[in-house]
Amino acid sequence: MVSVLLIDDDTELSKLLEEYLQSEQFELHAAHDGPGGLEKALANHYSAVILDVMLPGMSGLDVLKQLRQKSSVPVLMLTARGSELDRILGLELGADDYLPKPFNPRELVARLRAILRRASATGPTAASQPVHMAGVDLHPDSRSVTCNGKPVNLTGAEFDLLYSFLRNPGKIISREDLTQAALGRPMSPMDRSIDVHVSNLRRKLGPYDGEQERIKAIRGSGYVYLLPGEQQ
Amino acid sequence: MKYRSLFLKIFFCFWLAAAAMIGALNLMLWFSFNQDPNPERRRGALGEALNLYAESAVQVYDSEGPQAFEQFVNRSLKEAGTEIELFDGDGKSLTSPTPTEANSVATEIKQTQQHISHVTSTGRMTWGRPVVAPSGRVFIFVTRLRQPYVFRGLPPWGIGLSILAASVISYLLALYLTSPVKKLKSVVQSFAEGNLDVRVAPQLGGRHDELADLGREFDHMAERIAALISSQKRLLADISHELRSPLARLTVALELARKNTTGKGAAALDRIEMESERVNTLVGQLLALTRLESGAERVPPETVALEDVVQQVIDDANYEAKPLHKEVRVLELAQCVVRGSSELLRSGIENVVRNAIRYTAEGTAVEVTLTTRLDAAVVTVRDHGPGVPDSELQHIFEPFYRVGEARERSSGGVGLGLSIADRTIKLHGGSVRAENVSGGLLITIEIPLSQSPVAAKPAPEKIPVA
Repeated sequence: MVSVLLIDDDTELSKLLEEYLQSEQFELHAAHDGPGGLEKALANHYSAVILDVMLPGMSGLDVLKQLRQKSSVPVLMLTARGSELDRILGLELGADDYLPKPFNPRELVARLRAILRRASATGPTAASQPVHMAGVDLHPDSRSVTCNGKPVNLTGAEFDLLYSFLRNPGKIISREDLTQAALGRPMSPMDRSIDVHVSNLRRKLGPYDGEQERIKAIRGSGYVYLLPGEQQ
Repeated sequence: MKYRSLFLKIFFCFWLAAAAMIGALNLMLWFSFNQDPNPERRRGALGEALNLYAESAVQVYDSEGPQAFEQFVNRSLKEAGTEIELFDGDGKSLTSPTPTEANSVATEIKQTQQHISHVTSTGRMTWGRPVVAPSGRVFIFVTRLRQPYVFRGLPPWGIGLSILAASVISYLLALYLTSPVKKLKSVVQSFAEGNLDVRVAPQLGGRHDELADLGREFDHMAERIAALISSQKRLLADISHELRSPLARLTVALELARKNTTGKGAAALDRIEMESERVNTLVGQLLALTRLESGAERVPPETVALEDVVQQVIDDANYEAKPLHKEVRVLELAQCVVRGSSELLRSGIENVVRNAIRYTAEGTAVEVTLTTRLDAAVVTVRDHGPGVPDSELQHIFEPFYRVGEARERSSGGVGLGLSIADRTIKLHGGSVRAENVSGGLLITIEIPLSQSPVAAKPAPEKIPVA
């Protein structure tokens, strides 16, 4: 059984989900407010945290912010549909993925599995060679990145995204492939989270000298990681 | 300063008014005192008094002797500053010493036997007339007094000073009147940009006039609007939460039920899932529409590359259209930058495209173009469907409006997509309109282009041709 923490103020939903996830081999623990959830998340080793953005007392985004200061546990965010801002803020604050509420529990399970698969696949066991490219150093072992010698603090999804880019510099990578690589799941229609991750990554790395962007969007195709001086 | 600013208007109006008043007054006085052909008439009472004065002076001299006259003269000199000279009928002075001016007047009167008045530039008047005493002796009476009613026009330096004073006063007045208007404007502007906490009162100081009242009224209004918007936002969030929580539970319960059901039950569960998904979509669209219409949604001043937004919409829409054997095709995609929220614009355009996919016939394509026209970006979305009766074209952007009840129902729409698109585009200062073209409906979206050159993408580098 994989233990997962759900932070959601809807106790009835928590019960239903507990029952459903049980049948999918997940052990669900629930917290019903922000401070309590944060405490539980920090005190126990959960494989993943499902976090509702709308929480009484302390907003889910605040919980996420504080959680990220101490823990890198994968976080799946539940957002209100139509609230793009929460979603973008959540991803910027380091959530690994999001799911608009109300969601289909099958989808929830799929996303959870994707997150967990990625977390284990890129764990310390999957050691591989560091990548050095145009000022950016990426160490898959320690999952750390430096840009021009300065450490860059990337979330899990952003790290995987950068890893995909650095392994294929100058090549156009489709948004579908990037979603698969960074989020560990296939892209769904109307899904913009990969764009948010890319723009976060772009912002964190900054442009090359001379204002040239590192990552360029290719309309209708995807994204390409450019080397200095390269025009595409 | 703006050419047509209130400040300049007030300044010039007051300045002109002051200048005109000074000029008019000057002219009026000059005319009334200097242009009258009969100087005696304009002196009226003064002339009358002088006549009496002359007669009583002569009477004193004639009947009481030079001694008494001397006293009379001294008294009037002391009390009124009026000098009196008396001459006999031959123009010989009876008082001494006499100023030359009085002498010459006396001589003149002797010759003309008329009363005469001279006024010097300093406003001193010499007035004289022949007087016959009751005894029959003829005298010539001359008096020099301060002329009270003569106005000789302002000297040039006086006019200059008046204009300067008018300018300074007009300037100060204009400043006094417009500075609170300016402050009010900056506050209103900031409020309109979404800073709902801004108030006028702290900037007014101790003012208590109508403009200060206006400022205070604005503050009241701002208070109410801020309260309304925040309660509206809270309400929207509450509705969203309260309606969706049961839906979320329903979906989970449904999946639990599905795990234990087979055969006929599964079909019913599919139906339940579909309907709950519809309710969910409807809630989402209603919330989006309410948010758009309530003013709770604001357009951020971000620049958006519209071609990217349109391309994203088309990519996503194709994803949905493929299983229906339909297609979304781009015919033209011009680069253009607009101002606003890329999320909102995407949802607006997406609703139009989805609507087109719903109605376009199987095996046909929805055609999308993005072009620029003068100062607007133009997105057209054309389907190959049944179109809309001309009489109903203007209504299709109204919430829940249905063209052909049965068909809409079966197509699964709830009738809000185009309303959302319309409100979203209007929020960005644009417009949406629909028209029938041969074998389909054409929807045209216009969005003002961003004026800011900063946002424009750098032109692709030109490669010199060898």
